[in-house]
Amino acid sequence: MARNFRYFEKKRGHRRTGSRTLGSLGEALFFASLLVLGCAGLVAGILWLLIPEWRLHHGFKETTCLVQKKRLGEKEGDGATLYRPEIKIEYEAQGKQYSPWTYDLNTADMSDRAYSSDRAAVEAALDAFVEGQKYPCWYDPSKPDRAVLVRAYQGWLWLVFLVPASFVMLGAGGLVYTIHHWGKSAEHRAATVQRAQPSELFDLDRPPGPKLPNIPELSDITNSPGTTLAYRLPLSHSPGWTLLGLAAACLLWNGSVSYFAVAAVRSHLAQQPDWLLTLFILPFLAIGVALIVCLVRQLVQALAVGLTLVEISDHPLLPGGEYRLLVSQSGRLAMRSLEVWLSCREEATYRQGTNARTETREVRRLPVFRREGLALDRGQPFQAEGCVRVPAGAMHSFRADHNEVRWSLVVRGETAGRPAFERAFPVIVYPLAGAPVPGSHAP
Amino acid sequence: MNELVEAIRNPFSAARFAPDRMEFLFAPGQSAAGLLERLRAADWRGEIVGPHGSGKSTLLATLLAAARLAGQPCLAVTLRYGQRRLPCDFLGAARCMAAQKDRVPAVPLLAVDGYEQLGRWHRFLLGRLCRRRLGLVVTSHHPVGLPALCHTAVDPALAWRVVERLQAGSPPLVDGADVAERLAAHGGNLRETLFDLYDLFARRLAM
Amino acid sequence: MNEPAILIRLDSPARTYYPGQSLSGQYRLESAEGDPIRAVEASVLWYTEGKGEQDLAVHEFWRRDSQGGEGLDPRRPERFSTTLPISPLSYDGQIIQVRWCVRVRAFLSRGRELVAEKGFRLGDRPQQEVSPPEK
Repeated sequence: MARNFRYFEKKRGHRRTGSRTLGSLGEALFFASLLVLGCAGLVAGILWLLIPEWRLHHGFKETTCLVQKKRLGEKEGDGATLYRPEIKIEYEAQGKQYSPWTYDLNTADMSDRAYSSDRAAVEAALDAFVEGQKYPCWYDPSKPDRAVLVRAYQGWLWLVFLVPASFVMLGAGGLVYTIHHWGKSAEHRAATVQRAQPSELFDLDRPPGPKLPNIPELSDITNSPGTTLAYRLPLSHSPGWTLLGLAAACLLWNGSVSYFAVAAVRSHLAQQPDWLLTLFILPFLAIGVALIVCLVRQLVQALAVGLTLVEISDHPLLPGGEYRLLVSQSGRLAMRSLEVWLSCREEATYRQGTNARTETREVRRLPVFRREGLALDRGQPFQAEGCVRVPAGAMHSFRADHNEVRWSLVVRGETAGRPAFERAFPVIVYPLAGAPVPGSHAP
Repeated sequence: MNELVEAIRNPFSAARFAPDRMEFLFAPGQSAAGLLERLRAADWRGEIVGPHGSGKSTLLATLLAAARLAGQPCLAVTLRYGQRRLPCDFLGAARCMAAQKDRVPAVPLLAVDGYEQLGRWHRFLLGRLCRRRLGLVVTSHHPVGLPALCHTAVDPALAWRVVERLQAGSPPLVDGADVAERLAAHGGNLRETLFDLYDLFARRLAM
Repeated sequence: MNEPAILIRLDSPARTYYPGQSLSGQYRLESAEGDPIRAVEASVLWYTEGKGEQDLAVHEFWRRDSQGGEGLDPRRPERFSTTLPISPLSYDGQIIQVRWCVRVRAFLSRGRELVAEKGFRLGDRPQQEVSPPEK
């Protein structure tokens, strides 16, 4: 159905509605100003620095001069004395005699860049020339009274061009991007972005084979060989980081609160109780204690439950495929049950303005095994083997910016007197058509 | 049967009720033109205030569409959670609009969705830009000091009208009682209600 | 006068395609006489639906522009063909769906646009064509 041109095209990421033309114009102006600034800087650098240097080395004519006098030129800078070498030379150019004070191009041009705070270096430069001796010199044929005794490229020149050059690159790149995307449909922009993404030259993470868009990388899983089966699966998130975060929060909170708590206690001990402070600090103390309790419980849990290791016979998984599994659970506790299943979860994220919601739904749960009444002993981890089967026709692992289909092996343990623990080990399911070449991804 | 189920799309898919996809449903006697007139009377300054999921962004999009039809240049931005600054390209474009203001007959309009998140400096920049040159309409969860344009709120009748519109062309698996119950459970948040109805529709379709 | 419309037809009557298979067809515009067509874009793409924000990616994209300001001939059917990728496959999940389609967008005069799309399924190769490893 025909409709008027929509000036209100929402783009993903920064949501924006309004005239896309105006928005693009604003963008273009911003980048254009960067480009203009950069170009101006480059032109100024070329005119005032590069061209004179080039002329010095290619345009000046060589002749012989007599050094008549030497002196240390001085001037007051920002709270310090600055120096430059000044040498009076006599030479003949184009049939005339000239006797200017000079040293290098900066001195010859009376430029402030000739000055330096390093007196010793300047004196050493003067010592290189002896009064009454003859030396080669170079004069400007267009202005014969302008001559130099020393000519050398200044290394710092190139740094001066860095800033304007970066402005030019940013501005030009941004302008090209803006113009390229001006007035494009959503499909056209998406196609352009995808074409522009660099292909990976050394993609060691994927087995050799066809491209698999929107399927997660294998590297985290296939770079860890197992001791019994082919691969050891990594945890989706380590309990160590949770513990660390909790410990840091506990330390910070209780550290801050203890300062005021000590002050309150001291006031009571000094028979001058500060009730306002005492009442104020009580809720904060309560939170601090709760944090400590939480930390201790997590620590005890982590120490008691121990490591969960999962190994698998092959990876990535394929629909209809069967894989051997080895689960090892260490610790020091009595477990009511230990259960393992293959889980498929969908995760969808929706953002609108200040609201962001992510919903996760487990859409498939395929039991692998369940054991009951286990007693774990430190030094004798529990081990069990099983077989996991991926259903034929199952959806492969999928990842996009806002939507994801995620497969994982989940180990859940129920213990007496403690909360149950659950650990997830991500796996990647490929579509059948994307099955890797046999042996290509063996560790 | 599965093919038939697959062919029926869930009308409560998030993309279908995104603010730029749905037109705001006004109460009888109200319209986008009427709201524009109120905005004009307030010297093109106004705020749309309402709780989460009450249709502020949708109303803003509908209002801007009406303004565009009336020949007004419009420029809008939606701020995400925690975003306290206006994007550079938005500011640049706004400055262009201000500079070109005398060349267009209608007052150009700036719109900021989620205005309450802006930091003081960017509010000041925006205020300075709009002073005597550009109109400004914002959405917020609470008043921010601009003339009140509209206070959005969702009642069961309005929610049912929205659901009817979304469900047009699909099997009518969701009824008014379902909508009212879920709207009450979500405290008037229509967005969360629609997410719930997504699941309800899918369950009933599978039965 | 009838509203202009875009007609898209796929060569194969099958609704499901497979990775590596060729997807081909044609499209043309109807009832668009008198309204010059400045450009037409055709794309083979996938997008998501469900409870999350929409993700979209274009697999193949073509664009035809009018030359000399005369407009494209709407009666002339235009063909397209592409080889379908391995992923992502079409998917009907509980809160996420992945859908494939051919989308054609025509840019008319005065900033008007026409859009039409024809959906299809991208399914995985049948089990018997590939032997999954049994270890």
